[in-house]
Amino acid sequence: MTGYIRANTVEEAVAALAAGARPIAGGTDLVVGARQGKQSLPDALVGIHRIPGLGAITETDAGIDLGTLVSHAAIVSHPAIRERYTALADASVLVGSHATRAQGTLGGNVMHASPAMDTGAPLLCLGGTATFATPSGDRTTDLVDLWTGPGETTAGPDELLVAVHLPASAQATGSAYVRLQYRRHMEIAVVGAAAAVILDGGAVTRAAIAITALAPVIRRVESAEQALTGTSGGAPAVEAAAQAAADAARPIDDVRASATYRRAMAAVVTRRAVQAAIARARGEEIPIPATESTQGSWR
Amino acid sequence: MTMAPERTPFIRSDGKEKVTGAGRYTADLNLTGQLHAKFRYADHPHARILSIDTAAARALPGVFAVLTWEDVPDVLYGGSVNDRRLFAKEKVRWEGDIVAAVAARTADLAAEAAGLIDVRYEVLPPLTDFAANAEADAQLVHEAWADYEADENLGLSGNILGHSSIVKGDADAAMAGADVVVKSRYVADASQGAPIEPRAIVADWQGDKVTVWSSTQVPFAARSGIAHTLNIPESQVRIIVPLLGGGFGSKCDFHFEAHVAALARATRRPVKLVFSRREEFLAPDHRREGMIIELETGASRDGRLVARRGRLILDKGAYCGEGGFFAQMAAMHACGPYQIDAVNVDSYLNYSNQQPSGSIRAPTAPQACWALEQHMDELAAALEMDPAELRRRTLIGEGDEGPAGQVFEEIGAKQTLEAALDMIGYGRELPEDEAIGVACGWWPSFGVPSGAYVKLNRDGTGTIVTGAMESGTGAVMGLPLLAAEALGMKAEDFSILYQDTDAGPWDMGSSGSQTTFNNGRAVVEAATEVREKLLDLAADDLEVSRDDLVLADGTLSVKGSPDSSVTIATLAGSGEPILGKGSGDVPEAPAVDASGCVGRLGLESFLAPQLITQAARVKLDRDTGVIRVLEVAAAHDSGVIVNRIGADGQVYGGVLMGIGQALSEATWFDDEGRQLNPGLLDYKLQTASDAPEINIRWVEIDTPNAGPNGGKGVGEPPSVPTPGAIGNAIAKLVGRPIDRLPMTPERVWEAIHGGPEE
Ligand SMILES: Cc1cc2nc3c(=O)[nH]c(=O)nc-3n(C[C@H](O)[C@H](O)[C@H](O)COP(=O)(O)OP(=O)(O)OC[C@H]3O[C@@H](n4cnc5c(N)ncnc54)[C@H](O)[C@@H]3O)c2cc1C
Repeated sequence: MTGYIRANTVEEAVAALAAGARPIAGGTDLVVGARQGKQSLPDALVGIHRIPGLGAITETDAGIDLGTLVSHAAIVSHPAIRERYTALADASVLVGSHATRAQGTLGGNVMHASPAMDTGAPLLCLGGTATFATPSGDRTTDLVDLWTGPGETTAGPDELLVAVHLPASAQATGSAYVRLQYRRHMEIAVVGAAAAVILDGGAVTRAAIAITALAPVIRRVESAEQALTGTSGGAPAVEAAAQAAADAARPIDDVRASATYRRAMAAVVTRRAVQAAIARARGEEIPIPATESTQGSWR
Repeated sequence: MTMAPERTPFIRSDGKEKVTGAGRYTADLNLTGQLHAKFRYADHPHARILSIDTAAARALPGVFAVLTWEDVPDVLYGGSVNDRRLFAKEKVRWEGDIVAAVAARTADLAAEAAGLIDVRYEVLPPLTDFAANAEADAQLVHEAWADYEADENLGLSGNILGHSSIVKGDADAAMAGADVVVKSRYVADASQGAPIEPRAIVADWQGDKVTVWSSTQVPFAARSGIAHTLNIPESQVRIIVPLLGGGFGSKCDFHFEAHVAALARATRRPVKLVFSRREEFLAPDHRREGMIIELETGASRDGRLVARRGRLILDKGAYCGEGGFFAQMAAMHACGPYQIDAVNVDSYLNYSNQQPSGSIRAPTAPQACWALEQHMDELAAALEMDPAELRRRTLIGEGDEGPAGQVFEEIGAKQTLEAALDMIGYGRELPEDEAIGVACGWWPSFGVPSGAYVKLNRDGTGTIVTGAMESGTGAVMGLPLLAAEALGMKAEDFSILYQDTDAGPWDMGSSGSQTTFNNGRAVVEAATEVREKLLDLAADDLEVSRDDLVLADGTLSVKGSPDSSVTIATLAGSGEPILGKGSGDVPEAPAVDASGCVGRLGLESFLAPQLITQAARVKLDRDTGVIRVLEVAAAHDSGVIVNRIGADGQVYGGVLMGIGQALSEATWFDDEGRQLNPGLLDYKLQTASDAPEINIRWVEIDTPNAGPNGGKGVGEPPSVPTPGAIGNAIAKLVGRPIDRLPMTPERVWEAIHGGPEE
């Protein structure tokens, strides 16, 4: 097929994908990218933005389900996300401007698969999985296994992301996402990091740390997690985790920053994300976005 | 001495349509049968053209015309140097040089056709090091420079387009005798005007006359440019500017109007050109110039400036355009508004294979001022003197002598300093990682001819017909205030007919912060002529002497007997045409004694100088080098303010632009001279959420030689000292000045963490 159709159901959308169409949700990546000449619009597009149900946020005992069409604005204003999946709110509140957050969707962010996407590191640290509707039924995958390179995923062209699922969080969980940004809005992450920790009796029993814009894909950093796990989350452990994240980074040199600066900043944002996550796990108030509230010198 | 009348804030009449989206801009215009234009730009920043084959492009269905240099008159044009053709002929000299233009049924087709043009080149080494280009054995950007028609005051020679020096006294001897000498070197990167509206042009021929709608800041220059390059009389060219979506200087000068007019003539159809955002970065021959600034100042222990030496090198890019005066302007800003006993400053404007630089809001000033003001703080440190105190002792005042011998009349430099210090609470306790920096600057008023008509309509309202151009600053929108004051009417009673070269008298356009200064005078003179006519008519009508009449609130009445009166509407409704015209006397530049100066282009003295002090409070994130500007205090002597809302608006915008230049805005080039960040993602403008608290105070001095009722200008000055003030605050936090502009987080971080000094 060529041209544009608007799907009313998931089945219609999947059928269109099978016939060669690309899905379009908010269009803030696809259309803006085409206007900038990055790549022209696909010949066939299927609008999924009106499919009922895909914009819902549903809490269950097992966790929280975020429909693919959930906007960044909806994420930011959702009480449960702000409280228990705070890193995701830290990320979505930074996306573009008010207009971008109202228009851009979580699913679009995930499937665009940019190494600089802001929701990626939080979703990884929070144990996110993605559910796809496919011609042969639904398929669920860990987000860790989804991204393979800039703009590349393991999803087939006929697979429609329908929801992202985050498992229920334990008591005393805290998470945060921090990015380096040169101005307050309309930014792109130069480097970023997310952390999620579980505390038990003052000790870090589980730590997840992921870095953004520091490798071809957003990725967890096991060495950093190990440096933190089992410790009390004090300064030396945090610093060790931050250094481990910086060591794991594969930064590039470009107009946004040199590789040297990026690597140094990898340590800074990781340290801030970990500190904010621990503080939140302890019940301390670190306002969203953590990027703003952790600004300033660390001592 | 004229006294400032009581003025109530006036809300400009074009605001609502712009804010609500009802306003029409050039790109909104569509004519029946219109075609769309695209350009084929240079494939290399520096290359000899061997051949251009347009056959495949012409053969594409839907393509109506493909033009190259062969299809237009072989004419060189430019500002102070005629060094450029509409279409590159022998050589391309920067990545935005136009090789060919296409008109086709759709913009996509035109782009496809442009891509099909086969251009063969001999690639030449890119001459991107604008300082090295001045060396004797450097290859030339323009081999035929000696044959070019050029302003002889420039000192054009090889790759040096202009050389200017300011010499006062014996700076070498004075320097040798100074108690303290401080030397600095600063480097500023290029930046952009970045207007919201990418430029658009529509051209339509009727018979042998062409009408061109263009998003230009200078319609009359656009008219001259078309006439000159297409070899037709100016009277056959009409330029109309619909609403303009900003320019910040980048839409000064004649740019692409002739290309589109030529396409329209070749196809006998209206042709429309609309730039993409990327083109808006790459194609205009306009950006803020990169600059190397070396300064040396000698002072006595008590802070007297006994000597200043300076050497400035500016990147002109590939062509001259209207920026020929930059070397001289930069030299004046390397002196600054200070009393200096002896001066010797040399300033060079060099060609390179980069985008041409052209006027961007206060050309040369923000960078030179940023360097000078940080240098002044370095001097203060060497003198162990508070930087504000050093400025208090050295800023110019009445009777002082400027760098080229100009003797200043009453000006408010020192008052702006005290006002800014007061507003920001200079000297107060600050949280750790916060500091306040102070910078002073100046900017001239430009006296040029300008004209306007004022006519009264039958319903008693008025219309101002002006050649002046509204680039968004509100200068034209404020003209009714001046007419209304002269005529005892309300500003709201006036409509404005403007931005049409067939209507208003010739005007220099929206450049040089001079619209109020010059066109304001013209409107006052035109309104005064109308006033005279009204008094004559009313005197006849009421059978009294003119001297017994009062003109107020739209009515002429007899002094002492208000019942005996006639309204303006009655007189205007009689059918008697009531019109006035004005130009006003152009003020002369102050006398100079610049015997030692070369490159005299008329800017070696500053007419009705505008003085500025800004103080900035900033916060540093030491781990990242990210700077946040928290507060800016802006104190300005712009003479008597015509409209406070409009003037404040210029300061808010100017300061924000200044913050961008200080911290984030730069056009970076690769080794070949191609822009690395031609888009709004990586060319980082400040956003509304980055805006600090901005406090403003106007030092309203009735400056001699000022414009209408004591007004000067205010468009450009607000961004002049902002980077310097921010730089001085950062230097206090970091312990040394950042010597590169913009002072990006990475550069600040490197300075803190002892990284390599660039
Ligand atoms: C001005 C501006 C600022 C921005 N700032 C940020 C920022 O700060 N941080 C950030 O991370 N991003 C930013 N973005 C990028 C973008 O807004 C986000 O990635 C947004 O979440 C994309 O969502 P969308 O619905 O608009 O995606 P779309 O453009 O509609 O789609 C993006 C991609 O995902 C695919 N897709 C969409 N939905 C599905 C689905 N259900 N199944 C399979 N594939 C799908 C599309 O085919 C396309 O390839 C910015 C964009 C703009 C224009």
